[in-house]
Amino acid sequence: MKEADLASALHNLKRFFPALSHGRGSLAGRLIRLAAIWFIVSLILISAGLTAFFNYASVTRFQAGINDIVRNLYTHTEFDADGRIRIPELYNIRTDDIYSGLYWQIIELDNDDRVIGVHKSGSLVERSLDGPKKLDKMSGQAEFYNGIGPRRQPLRQTAVYLRIQNHNLLFIAGEDRSQLDRNVGQFALITGGALIVLALGSLVAIYLQVRIGLRPLFALTDELHDIRKGKTTRLHGTYPAEIAPVTEEVNKLLEYGQDVVERQRTHVGNLAHALKTPLSVLLATAGDNPDPLADTIRKQSALMKEQVDHHLRRARAAARAQNMGERTPVEPVLDELAVTLEQVFRDKDVTIDWRAPENLAFRGEKQDFQEIAGNLLENACIWCKGKIRVTASLSDEAQGMTLLIEDNGPGMPPERYGEVLKRGARLDESAPGSGLGLSIVDELVRAYGGKLSFDRSSLGGLKCVVILPANFIS
Amino acid sequence: MRILLAEDDPDLSRQLKSSLQDAGYVVDHAPDGEEAHFLGDTEPYDCVILDLGLPKIDGVSVLERWRRDGKTTPVLILTARGAWSDKVSGFDAGADDYLTKPFHTEELLARLRALVRRAAGHAQPLLVCGGVRLDPRAARASVNGEPLRLTSLEYRLLHYMMLHQNRVISRTELVEHLYDQDFDRDSNTIEVFMGRLRKKIGTDRIETVRGLGYRLKPLHDEVSEI
Repeated sequence: MKEADLASALHNLKRFFPALSHGRGSLAGRLIRLAAIWFIVSLILISAGLTAFFNYASVTRFQAGINDIVRNLYTHTEFDADGRIRIPELYNIRTDDIYSGLYWQIIELDNDDRVIGVHKSGSLVERSLDGPKKLDKMSGQAEFYNGIGPRRQPLRQTAVYLRIQNHNLLFIAGEDRSQLDRNVGQFALITGGALIVLALGSLVAIYLQVRIGLRPLFALTDELHDIRKGKTTRLHGTYPAEIAPVTEEVNKLLEYGQDVVERQRTHVGNLAHALKTPLSVLLATAGDNPDPLADTIRKQSALMKEQVDHHLRRARAAARAQNMGERTPVEPVLDELAVTLEQVFRDKDVTIDWRAPENLAFRGEKQDFQEIAGNLLENACIWCKGKIRVTASLSDEAQGMTLLIEDNGPGMPPERYGEVLKRGARLDESAPGSGLGLSIVDELVRAYGGKLSFDRSSLGGLKCVVILPANFIS
Repeated sequence: MRILLAEDDPDLSRQLKSSLQDAGYVVDHAPDGEEAHFLGDTEPYDCVILDLGLPKIDGVSVLERWRRDGKTTPVLILTARGAWSDKVSGFDAGADDYLTKPFHTEELLARLRALVRRAAGHAQPLLVCGGVRLDPRAARASVNGEPLRLTSLEYRLLHYMMLHQNRVISRTELVEHLYDQDFDRDSNTIEVFMGRLRKKIGTDRIETVRGLGYRLKPLHDEVSEI
């Protein structure tokens, strides 16, 4: 019966917590579930054990009372010369009160166990006590058993079979045990209640312990998330001794991964650059020869150059994903670019007037900022009539830096603003430049979550507006 | 016109050499950095075409050595690396122009013509103020032999102050000289440029005369050569 209960309880547990039977699920859940099962099982056993022991101790004490009555009866019962039974006076008023709950009874039996006479306590009135279901007549030992009293109340009874002066006598005493049963029930209730409170408290404690104990694992999860998001490149936190080896290995793995990516990137870079000299040879060989073969060489070389540039950018993008978190001061980059471009366009006498707060820093790699600003500035140099204005500032509304590059060239009709960002688009086929400049810039700016747009400049030409992540550095 | 072509790829060298010769140049060819440096150091070239990826000594090092030795021969850099960081470091080393591979021969010839024409400008006297030197012909300036990298506005400012050294120059005078009429100026323009110029040539060389303007002067331990 009990085994069947336990089996069905286990079945229910498995149904509600599939992790128990499959070994999956959360670590915290698993720890808590195991602790819960252990607690519930052990507390059920403890409360059952305690109640059983209390019951045993109470009943033993209880039996001592009725045993005393029986012993009093059989010790002092005699038969007179006429063979009449003489029953001793018992100094317990309860045996005389009607249905008091304490009863005794003496039964005289002949040798064939037939009842010859019955003597009983006043409390029984005309009722009688049940005899024991079985009785070892030879032992002379008291037999304890449960019976039903005159008012249908449960009784604890004892019976002893003795031969006194050649008379067979069965002494029976019984007492109402309902108070005892109530006490045992109360004990079981209180014990059970106390243990349930203890179990719930312990479960809360275990839950907290697990959550706090596993906190480094949650921190580790957060850090790994940051790595995947590119906010950091390795695990920095200090972890407990059990987890530290894992983080060390993860860091080594990350370094290895970065190494591999770096090697691949260098490899791609070298390959791409190595292709450029042979391309130059092909172009130089074709020259301005009107021959169709030379024309094919020129066209195919241009295609190859585009491919090479494309893959170089891809390799750069892969490297960029590896290390975010860099800061590039804006001022030195604009200074270098201004100096360089004024020199490149010296024949045109270009003046680049640039302004940037000294402590403004682009949140990204220097090379990327150089590409963004360099390509836009070069474009401006190509189209301007000598004047270029560059303004970098930190703006709250853009949540970053606004970089304005303006020139006094012919500008661009607004309906073409979207068109120029398309890969390879060129407004004027005769102007120098690969035509990839603006789309490269747009690609880069987007990679940083920024925005490139165009407007009309007060200088008369085009105004490029670039929004990039930036902040002030001390 | 005599030109040094420093390029290690034999096919490209052969092609370029013949194209340059067709265009009327006398061409010497150096297949590695060592020979390029030696030739550039000893022969009077009108222009140098320098590949950056040379064996033995790389192009940037060759260029830096020439510039350190005071060679002002115009140099056009030829390289496969076209990122702006590469261009900037090329110009930093003292290049005059930059061409990314692959290129069209016509473009190389056009750039070369511009370089040679520019270098042939009329000679103007060198301006000196203590350790600061300014060559108006090449539009180059240096401090104690170290070449300065100035934007045109900074150069203009320095040039004007070199022409009027030891004299206090007012802000208005400087602004008017710095900008054309149509450039809009904000009030602290001159402060911005003075700040940048001081960063590049040394803070002590430009004195702020309160309420009057600025004065360029040689440092105490420097003796002007003129």
